[in-house]
Amino acid sequence: MTILEAKNLHKSYGNKFNKQEVLKGLDFSFEKGEFVSIMGPSGSGKTTLLNVLSSIDRINSGSIMIEGNEITGMKEKQLAEFRKHHLGFIFQEYNLLDTLTVKENILLPLSVTKISPAEADHRFTMLANELGIYELKDKYPNEISGGQKQRTSAARAFIHQPSIIFADEPTGALDSKSASGLLNKLSELNRSRNATIIMVTHDPVAASYCSRILFIKDGQLYTQLHKGNQTRQEFFKDVMKTQGVLGGVQNEH
Amino acid sequence: MSIKQLIFRNLKKNLKNYYLYVFALIFSAALYFAFVTLQYDPSMTEAKGSIKGAAALKAASVLLLGIVTIFLLYANKIFIKRRSKEIGLFQLIGMTKNKIFSILTTENFLLYFGSVLLGILFGFAFSKLAIMILYRVTGVEAIATLHFSAQALIQTLIVFVGIYLLIMLTNFIFIKRQTILSLFRVVLSTEGKVSKISMLEIVIGMLGLIFIIVGYYVSSKLFGGDFNNEAKLYLAMIAILGFVITGTYLFYKGTVRFVFNLIRKKKNGYLSVNEVLSLSSIMFRMKSNALLLTIITTVSALAIGLLSLSYISYYSAEKTARNYVPNQFSFTNTDTAGTFKEKLNENHIGFKETNVEVLRVRADLSSVMKAKLEASSTATGLNPKNVILSVVSDSNVKGENLSKRNIYLTGVSDLQQSFFKIQDSGQIIWKTKKEKMLQNYTGMKKDSVVSIPFSAGMPTAVVNDSVFQVLKDGLDPSLQTDASHYVGIDVTKETELQKANDLFQKQQYKAGQFSRMEMLHEQKQNMGLIMFIVGFLGLAFLITSGCILYFKQMDESEEEKPNYTILRKLGFSRGDLLAGIRFKQLFNFGIPLVLGLIHSYFAVKSGWFLFGTELWTPIILVMVLYTALYSIFGILSVVYYKKVIKEAL
Repeated sequence: MTILEAKNLHKSYGNKFNKQEVLKGLDFSFEKGEFVSIMGPSGSGKTTLLNVLSSIDRINSGSIMIEGNEITGMKEKQLAEFRKHHLGFIFQEYNLLDTLTVKENILLPLSVTKISPAEADHRFTMLANELGIYELKDKYPNEISGGQKQRTSAARAFIHQPSIIFADEPTGALDSKSASGLLNKLSELNRSRNATIIMVTHDPVAASYCSRILFIKDGQLYTQLHKGNQTRQEFFKDVMKTQGVLGGVQNEH
Repeated sequence: MSIKQLIFRNLKKNLKNYYLYVFALIFSAALYFAFVTLQYDPSMTEAKGSIKGAAALKAASVLLLGIVTIFLLYANKIFIKRRSKEIGLFQLIGMTKNKIFSILTTENFLLYFGSVLLGILFGFAFSKLAIMILYRVTGVEAIATLHFSAQALIQTLIVFVGIYLLIMLTNFIFIKRQTILSLFRVVLSTEGKVSKISMLEIVIGMLGLIFIIVGYYVSSKLFGGDFNNEAKLYLAMIAILGFVITGTYLFYKGTVRFVFNLIRKKKNGYLSVNEVLSLSSIMFRMKSNALLLTIITTVSALAIGLLSLSYISYYSAEKTARNYVPNQFSFTNTDTAGTFKEKLNENHIGFKETNVEVLRVRADLSSVMKAKLEASSTATGLNPKNVILSVVSDSNVKGENLSKRNIYLTGVSDLQQSFFKIQDSGQIIWKTKKEKMLQNYTGMKKDSVVSIPFSAGMPTAVVNDSVFQVLKDGLDPSLQTDASHYVGIDVTKETELQKANDLFQKQQYKAGQFSRMEMLHEQKQNMGLIMFIVGFLGLAFLITSGCILYFKQMDESEEEKPNYTILRKLGFSRGDLLAGIRFKQLFNFGIPLVLGLIHSYFAVKSGWFLFGTELWTPIILVMVLYTALYSIFGILSVVYYKKVIKEAL
C-alpha cells in the first residue's frame, strides 16, 4: 500500500533576481512499513526534501499525498493538525524540551489526542522498555547522554503511532556505538510495529540499515538502491560504491 | 566604515529593537520632571503651605529617584545583555575593550539624552494635568497655570546625568569582566540549570508558606491589644515585615516550584501543552527570579496598601468629621454660641439649635472593658476601675428613651476600640461624691452626640434623665472642664451653609469651637495632597514593576523560542501555543499581583481604622484599578510572545 506519493516536487528559495532552485521535479513513493533512506552530498536538497515532505516547509509546485490526503493545499492550521496526528519526528539535535522529564517529553504528542492516561502510561511503558530508557523516565534531558536523548526523541516519534516517521540525520550527533544502538532499535520498531520511517542521512552505515535508499543530487533523483536479500555488509558496500560515484566533484576539463 | 558611522548605524538599529529601553527612559524622565516641576511651582504654595506638604513632596521625590534609578539600571542590564554578541564580535575583530566601551558610551549618550529631553517635554505637559488633578482632590480653587521651572530642569538633568554615569559604570564593569567566549555565551548561561526537587527545596517551600501565614496572623493581632506598648508594637511591625518579606522570597524560591511539582507528579508525565508551556517553564524560572519577584511583590503591596489607606482617609473624611463634630457648628459653651447666633440672625440665616449639658463623672468600667484593657492600660495610662466619662441625658438625644437602669455608650470610634475592647453588655458603676450607682450597660452606638472636646477620646455615656439629675447632684467639680455645655447649630437651608461658614471663620473663635465644613475642607486638603503623592508614586511603582516584568518576559520569550520551534514542528499550532502562553502569563503576572494584593489586604486590615471609617469601598476600588492597569503589561507580553511564536517556525 502506498503511504506517501510525491509528484514533480519543485522548491526554490530567494527572490526573482537571485533564485536558488533546490528541488527540481522529484517523483517517488513510499510503501507502508518501509524503512527508507534519503542520501546525497551536502547541498543536494536532502533536508529541504524532508521538510517539504513533513509539511514543515512548503513546495512551489507539485503534489504530496500522504495516506490519500493532499497536503500541499492545506492551510497552516490544518497542517499543524495533520502533523500532530499523522507524523512523527526525530531530529539531529534531539529537540527535547529541557524543562520536561524524559517521560513528559515522550508523552507530549499524546496530550492532544483523546487517549486515557492509563492507555498513555501503558504505551509509554512498552515503548520505553523496547528502547531501553524506562529507568530514565524521571530524568531531565541534561542528565542523560546523547544516545539516550535520541532514543527519547525516537520514543516521542512513535508514541502516537503516526503514519510516517521522519528522521533528520538522527545519528549525526552520536558516537558510533550509540548510533548503531539507535539504528537497531529503529529497525526493530520498523519491523515490530510496521512503522514507515523516512530517514535523511549522509552516513552510509546508517543508510545500510534501511530497505531502500534514494540518492539525490542537485535536487533530482539520481538513483535508488534496494537491499533485497543482501546482508547489511553487502548492502553497505553497494552504498559506498554509489556514493563514490555520486559524491565526486565533476572535473570540468 | 568609520567608528562614527558604526555608532550611527547601531543607534538606528537599536532604536527599533530596544524601543522599550527608550520608552523606559522617556517615561522615567517625564515622571521625574513632572514631579519636580510640581515641587517648584509657585502655585503649589497654597496646597503646600496650608499643610506643610513641602517635606512630603521632597521625601516623595527622593523615593521616586530611587525607583527610577533601579528601573533604568535594570532596563540597561537587559539591553546590554542582548548586545553581548555584538560586543564579542567587536572584540574578535581586534577592538580593545576601552574602544568598545567608548563606542557604547557615545551611542548610549545620544540615545539616553535624546530620550531624556523628550521625556522632559512630555513631563512638562503631564505636570499641568497632574496639578489640575491635585487641585481637584485637595479642593483648592485655582486655575492651573504652570511655569517652566529652570530649577526643576536643572535638578532633573543633574539626576539623570548621575544615573547615566551609574549605568556607564555598570556597563564598564560588564565589559571588563567578559571574555570573548563568555560574551558569546551570556544569553545561554543566565537561567539556572534544570534539576530535581531536593529535600531542602521542599523545606524552603513549606517555610515560605508558614512565614507568610505567621506574618498575616501577627498582623491581624497587631491592634488587638496583645502588643500593648510602643516598643512591643514596633517590634511586632518589624516582625510582620520580616516574616512576610522573607516568606515571599522563600515562596518564590521554593513554594511555587514545590506546588507545581506536586501538580506535575499527579499528572504522571502526561502533560497538556498548556501545562508544558506554563508549569514547567515557570517552575524553573521562578527560582532564579526570586529576588526580583520579591521586590516587585513588596513594592506592589506597598503601593496598593498606601493607596488604599490614603484613599480610605480621603473617602472617610466626611464621616470622620461627622464623628468629631455631630452638628454643622459646635460650641463648648453657651456664650460663644450666643455670639454666633447673633451673627446668623443679623444675616437672616435660619438655624436649629441643639443644647446638651455634659457632666464628667468617675466610673468603674472593669466589667465592660475586659481583659484587653489590662494590657493596654499601661500604654494609655487608663485604669478601667477609674475612668472619667462624659455623661449626657437621654432627653437630649433624639428618639431615645432609656429606662432608669440602662445606659449605653456612644461615639466609640474603631480607633478607640482597638485600644480598649468594650464588651457588648455588662455593668457600669458610677462613683459620685455621694454614692456608688450600678447600671446595666446595653451596648454601643457609633454616632456621637457631642463634639470632640467633650468626649476627649473616650466614649460618651447616655443615661436616663432622672439618673442624669442624680449624677449632677453628686458632681465632683474638680473633674469638670471648660467644656460643660455643648451647643450644636445646624443651618436650616443647605444653600446658606457656605455663608454661615464664612461668618464663623470671621469670628476667629478659640480652640474647641468647630465648623464641620471647615474641618472637612481641612481633612480633604490634608488627605488630598497625601493621596496625590501616594497616587503618583503608586503609578510609578506600578508602571516600573509592570515594565520590569514585561522586559523579563521579552527576554524569556527569546530564550524559549527554540522550544516553540520544536513544538510547532511536532504539530502544535500557533493557537495551541498561544493558549499555553496566556496561561503562563496568568501565573507570571498573576502570582506577584495576587500575592501583593493579599499582602496589602492584610496590611490595610490591621490598621485601617487609624485612617478612616470605611474599609471596603476604597480598598476594592484601589485593588480593581491597580489590577486593571497592571494587566495591561500582561496583555502586552502576550502580544510580544505572539510575535515570537510566529517567527519560531
